[in-house]
Amino acid sequence: MAIRFHRSMILACAATFFGCPASAEQIEAWRVFVADHSEPVVRAIDLRDGDEIERFALTGAARLHRSQSGRMVYAVQRDANRVQMIGTGIALGDHGDHGDITIGAPRLLKATLAGQKPVHLVERDGMAAAFFDDEGIARLVAEHAALEGTGEPQEIASRAPHHGVAIPFGVHMLMTRPHPSDPGALPVGLDLFGPDGAPAIDYAPCPDLHGEAQSGNLVALACETGLLVVAPGQARPEIRHLPYAAGLPEGKTTKLVGGTGLRYFLGNFAPRVLVLIDPMQEQENFRLVELPTRAVDFASHPAKPRFALAFTEDGHLHRIDVVAGRIDRSVRLTGLYSMDGHWSDPRPRIAVAGPRIVVSDPLAGQLHVVDTETFETMGSIAVAGEPFSIVAVGGAGETH
Amino acid sequence: MRSLAQAALAGLSLAVAAPSVQAGAEPFDVVASFSIIGDFAREVGGDRIRLTTLVGPNGDAHVYEPRPADAAAMTKARVVLVNGLQFEGFLDRLIEASGTTAAVVEVSKGAHILPVDGEAHDHHADEDKAADHHHDEASDEDGHAEKDHAGHDHGAYDPHAWQSVENAERYVKNIAEAFCLTDRDGCATYQENAAAYIGQLQTLDADIKTAIGELPQDKRTIITSHDAFGYFEHEYGLHFLAPKGLSTEADASAADIAALIRQVREERASAIFVENITNPRLAEQIAAETGLQLGGALYSDALSDKDGPAATYIDLMRHNLTTITSAIAGS
Ligand SMILES: [Zn+2]
Ligand SMILES: [Zn+2]
Repeated sequence: MAIRFHRSMILACAATFFGCPASAEQIEAWRVFVADHSEPVVRAIDLRDGDEIERFALTGAARLHRSQSGRMVYAVQRDANRVQMIGTGIALGDHGDHGDITIGAPRLLKATLAGQKPVHLVERDGMAAAFFDDEGIARLVAEHAALEGTGEPQEIASRAPHHGVAIPFGVHMLMTRPHPSDPGALPVGLDLFGPDGAPAIDYAPCPDLHGEAQSGNLVALACETGLLVVAPGQARPEIRHLPYAAGLPEGKTTKLVGGTGLRYFLGNFAPRVLVLIDPMQEQENFRLVELPTRAVDFASHPAKPRFALAFTEDGHLHRIDVVAGRIDRSVRLTGLYSMDGHWSDPRPRIAVAGPRIVVSDPLAGQLHVVDTETFETMGSIAVAGEPFSIVAVGGAGETH
Repeated sequence: MRSLAQAALAGLSLAVAAPSVQAGAEPFDVVASFSIIGDFAREVGGDRIRLTTLVGPNGDAHVYEPRPADAAAMTKARVVLVNGLQFEGFLDRLIEASGTTAAVVEVSKGAHILPVDGEAHDHHADEDKAADHHHDEASDEDGHAEKDHAGHDHGAYDPHAWQSVENAERYVKNIAEAFCLTDRDGCATYQENAAAYIGQLQTLDADIKTAIGELPQDKRTIITSHDAFGYFEHEYGLHFLAPKGLSTEADASAADIAALIRQVREERASAIFVENITNPRLAEQIAAETGLQLGGALYSDALSDKDGPAATYIDLMRHNLTTITSAIAGS
């Protein structure tokens, strides 16, 4: 793999950025996992030097999700009818006054979730649920069980096949309710399943449900009419409908991401407009953020809670100040990527690896690296094929 | 269109906008991290401050997740009042996200602080200036965890210092001092307000000492959900047991609960209480297993809402006192 870095990226090492020991025991490591757009391959890349550490041959082309702990990457293979799992090799332990880091080789795990057409996958507190659209079934796997190679996946069935999602919520499970007559339509609401696997009698209506995210202890799902906001309750999760504010222009959210560090949700709303949502505020829950062109991807910014990130058709990455509710900085990274054409065409994706933001550029075969602090481009990493779906894991800690 | 900060204030039910101000003095913005400090700030600052409280009534500051509106309030504030002692786990993130240049004042500074092993210690007693202290993680270098409850460290000191009324007096003095540094013209007012309020606190303190003093010695062990009453115990002579540690963050393990149930039987506890900020189920479970009566709700880390029994700090302490003494009397 060819690598091309600006000088500043090399110098960063001297300034005790990733991988460079700050003391005898304190180290920092960041890895990105990159799935090809159409080939059944995932590459693990060490961000310190851009080297490919490992290449995994999967069954089909995958979309990647990372677990909250960062120990696991889920490779959802819609057309190959399975979810495969990759142990990232990096484990972080929080001990209050210090953190530990354990670094090993990434590995493809034996655990697999098999079923017809998995699309949405949600991991929460170490439990992942993949929803298999053509069966209408959610299959669950615990992160630690998959890593240790123990335990059998569990199943929970919805009423019928549909394009749905299942979200583990403590001992409960949230799952979409299909449209009663049209299997091709989006779900009409959310069912709550108890620890015994039985659905609660009531359900939360949410027409045209699509898009889910987590922020802090909240889960949000987008509907045509607004959002469902799920919070922990005394005996079971509390589900509340938050309607779009009356003053908002025409629009709706179909993709959501959740803030880390600050509690908010960011969604698409209209072609060139994103919406910032504070579900706990009594007024001004919804603030619109205008973009110069249509959004290709957007993400929260775990390394900088004040900011979110959006990538637009004009090849720019934007930093959104979620407190002020506007774009704060922009940097040009790629050629043009039109949102015309098929929704699944290869287009850039964003991942945040602590001190670096990484954006895939499938048509150029590159990962572009942007400095988190300065928001300036630092160089790029060449990747064969069409690097598409990416996730980042890592952190700093002591090794014992 | 309203500015974001105005919108943020309007949206917070806790935001108190002063309707009228003394001639010429524009109120300055103050952020209090949680409701009890907010109450003190209102007593001291009156109309001269515009107060935003982050963690509101019945809110749990241990696990609070700040919102963009909180960051906006921090950005606007000239004084940020916090408890410190690692009580507000969200604080560093929020300070960073907001980029605030406000003075971040730890109002527990100089109070009589208990380390987690029970020995008293004057928090930052070597520093005589209470105010204008910018939060700095490195300042707690001696903060090495002694107690590892449910696998998570929470520093060397018990943060719930307000549960001793004498400490609350120190909080109030620190707040007055911080306001004086920010608004010299209002200093006399802050000192007067603080002195009048401290008078009420002294009466409260004496009343608690009298009421607890009248309880039989063998009935002074009670159970709460988390270790929030160490200062009450130290100051007034009750014995509190709790399944959860100093923070509500970690769940109590089955072993913790079993040990507590054993302890309840051995030490013949008199009553068990739920807390306004925590899930009552754990206390209910222990009550069911031990046959202890549930003695009502104690307000540990937050006020009640306006119409509740603990809408102010003084109401909170009086409510807890009555709840405890009547449960013990009925046991
Ligand atoms: Zn979908
Ligand atoms: Zn507490």
